[in-house]
Amino acid sequence: MINMIALVAGVAVFLLGFSLNVGLSFSKARRQALFGLSVVAVLYAIGWILANAQQLPVQGPSEAETLLDASGSGFLIVVPFVICLVGIVAVALSDSISHTVRTLRRILYLLALAMMFVGSTEPILLGLCWMLSPVIVWTELRSRVECRGASRLFAIFHIPSVILFIGAIAVREFGGSSLVFVAAALGAIGIREAVIPGHTWFVRFVEEAPMGLVVAFVAPQLGVYAHVELLMQNVPSEWAQIVAAFGALTALVASILGIAQTSARRGLAYLMMSQTGLVAFGIEGSSSVAFAGSLVAWQVLAVATTGFAMTLSALEARRGELSLKEYSGCFSRTPRMAGGFLVMGLGSVGFPLTLGFVAEDLLVQGSVQEFPLLSFVLIVATAFNGMNVMRSFFHLFSGVRVHTGEADLTNRESWSLSTVLVVLLLGGLIPGAITSREFSDADVGARAGAEVSHSIGEASEFVK
Amino acid sequence: MSPEFDWVALALLAVPGLPMLAVLVLAIARWVTGKRATERVVSSLAGFAFGTSTLASFALAVSLIGSESAGYVADLGTWFSVGHYHFSWTLVGDRLSLPFAIFSSGLVWTIATFSRRYLHREEGFHRFYLMLSFFGAGVLLVVLAGNLDLIFFGWEIVGLTSALLIAFFHERKAPVEHGLRAFLTYRFCDIGLLSAAVWLHHTAGSSTLTAPIEGMNWATLVIPQEQADVFLLGVFLIWASIGKAAQFPLGGWLPRAMEGPTPSSAIFYGAISVHLGPYLLLRSTPILETNVILQWIVIGIGVATALHATFVGRVQTDIKSALAYASMTQLGVIFVEIGFGMYTLALVHIVGHASLRSLQILRSPSLLHDHHHLEQAMGAALPRSGGHLERLVPSSFQPWLYRAALERGYLDTIIVDWFVGGFVGVVRRVDGLEKRWASLLAGEDSAAVEMGAIAQVEEKS
Repeated sequence: MINMIALVAGVAVFLLGFSLNVGLSFSKARRQALFGLSVVAVLYAIGWILANAQQLPVQGPSEAETLLDASGSGFLIVVPFVICLVGIVAVALSDSISHTVRTLRRILYLLALAMMFVGSTEPILLGLCWMLSPVIVWTELRSRVECRGASRLFAIFHIPSVILFIGAIAVREFGGSSLVFVAAALGAIGIREAVIPGHTWFVRFVEEAPMGLVVAFVAPQLGVYAHVELLMQNVPSEWAQIVAAFGALTALVASILGIAQTSARRGLAYLMMSQTGLVAFGIEGSSSVAFAGSLVAWQVLAVATTGFAMTLSALEARRGELSLKEYSGCFSRTPRMAGGFLVMGLGSVGFPLTLGFVAEDLLVQGSVQEFPLLSFVLIVATAFNGMNVMRSFFHLFSGVRVHTGEADLTNRESWSLSTVLVVLLLGGLIPGAITSREFSDADVGARAGAEVSHSIGEASEFVK
Repeated sequence: MSPEFDWVALALLAVPGLPMLAVLVLAIARWVTGKRATERVVSSLAGFAFGTSTLASFALAVSLIGSESAGYVADLGTWFSVGHYHFSWTLVGDRLSLPFAIFSSGLVWTIATFSRRYLHREEGFHRFYLMLSFFGAGVLLVVLAGNLDLIFFGWEIVGLTSALLIAFFHERKAPVEHGLRAFLTYRFCDIGLLSAAVWLHHTAGSSTLTAPIEGMNWATLVIPQEQADVFLLGVFLIWASIGKAAQFPLGGWLPRAMEGPTPSSAIFYGAISVHLGPYLLLRSTPILETNVILQWIVIGIGVATALHATFVGRVQTDIKSALAYASMTQLGVIFVEIGFGMYTLALVHIVGHASLRSLQILRSPSLLHDHHHLEQAMGAALPRSGGHLERLVPSSFQPWLYRAALERGYLDTIIVDWFVGGFVGVVRRVDGLEKRWASLLAGEDSAAVEMGAIAQVEEKS
């Protein structure tokens, strides 16, 4: 069965993209796209609330969903809404220098495909969405002279990814070997998630493509959903350990490479790559805590990294290419942009009071039992990611007295950024609303007795 | 549970809660309206928050002295839980945390009042108070935290606000560089603290503070059963504490941190922030006592820091750097005291040192004025100090020693140029290879690849 609301939302966004007239001015097209996405987001939220309130049968009891529910997959229902938020920020902060109306249409198509992918359990639809989204990105890259190298690199990696994914689905549907299915699916997802060694396309892509397109393609993290949807409990434990190790390796290597970058875009690319490595690591653990952390990290990656990346893009549109070799900004002149950049960046690397902290804590605490050494690697990776964010912040927003005249965020940019800021901070303040409902009973037996809960009864221990 | 739990819980919550509320109000108002509140409103809000915190801490301390209890615990509920894992908001008011809370909130209150005039019409007045309040809330969370997870929560806030306040004068390059350096050091040492929290959960089942063991006056971390786990945990905790306390060999950020406004220097690097390292060790004393090697590591770090800082501090030519090294010396001594098990002495030393040093740093802009006053009172030039050391060192050795002290004992060269520089060099080389590999796959001509490699070498140089 299918999550009808997500599918309908996906179709609506697709039609929105289709209705954008390429003859329109960029600002007019952006306004239309932003309005349409906001309406879809609101309608999706209302539909979700109504469905929950009246227990409408929006989700059928398919086998896959039953499996997901056993490990807390009710969480997945928020994903299409988060994709809408990603779209709103990507469109609102896209600039007319690096984006065209065609780019906006492609952004909307990518978002629509992501929603349909997340709303579907039908193999054919999953395969179709998996195949079409890189094609859309590739056509955009091909249309740009400066992206020729990146487009070739993109094709070299994504053609095998598509073939492997469709092959995996075919093997599953026609009753082939489950190991072949798992291997093919892991290969496809690994490339899509830029997990080492399938990562080479990613940095060039982030470096050269329009940022809105990057965000629309990367932030929804279809690979994570595919992993949850197709591979949960199918991966042999030895393989799971290898996948987790590759995830941790990606997180660590990317975080280390990130702090040595002299280009802001490359720094961002490695930050995103490290985050996807963290998600890939946690999703393979047998612990419900790490799994929950991984899902929350997935949404944090979508929300916070989108805000971070698009703020960077907005700054780039005002200032030109951004270098981290010298200090080149003055944050008192652009306080909203600087503030948004910092909070989004810190949120993405797990700073307290943001949802990222919850994700990081769950990931690390949940994985230490199963992977003690790798959980330490994870801690090191998050520390380096924090350094990367602060280094970028200081280099881009401080160090010079002379103001180059760049404007602060406009109202449109500011309000759209505020939306995701609220999600990130509210999620950080009341994470129980997300985690306890969905995961409280999940997989408790995995490490029963290993940890004791904190309780109010401990007060007695302090009495002499 | 004691019958006064309700007001105790409320008071414990108010201590870090009010400053955090002030932060939220200031930040949200600024973001939503885009305008700065008046100086009076901002400083009054921060002053009220920390004044009330101080009073609440004081009331708790008075109540504790008059009670049979070894400490108060307020379990404010679970923040989030997944399966068997819970992150709880548990605050502890005992004979360690309450003295810390009183002097921390009291000093921030004093600084909030002092800075109203000191930073009057300063461009970043609003930002200063926002960061100061955030810092204070973080510190109070650290000291009242009932588990290591919550300590980490506050610890991170302290690190971020420290870096942002060092870079307060952000239009100049030097403060920003120094702020970044402080942050990188903090973040590196945060690895130790988070690892300790995770390892404690893993090996002992919980990171919650337990009732004072025999001979101790305050709650401490639970001890894992295996000696190897205890040792590893101790190493993680020491690792975390040396960054915050600017101990050898990672203390190079502290003198540079004095680039921030004087009031924040006074409270961060003279009084509160740097003492959180010893605070963490005091919370971990049973772990340190379980393994004598850990105690000797703490003593060794303390001795090395004290010797290095007093050596370098003697040749400093500006008062704030001299005070920074003096702080490091005292912190080294405090580490030694903790290593030798003199915990109450260490606590008294911390409170005394924090109070004196913050006063000295606050007075530092008036140094020349004070100097003239002293000379006028004495009727002659002030006598030189340190002459006895000069007599001990051979004259031929003195210039070399002076040069070495000016170069901060060559510690920066070793840490920054050799270790960090070498590491970054290797990383850039790997990144260069990655770029070349991507270019080759992308079918770009070899000239472009070569240009990329040349640019890489130039970047490295």
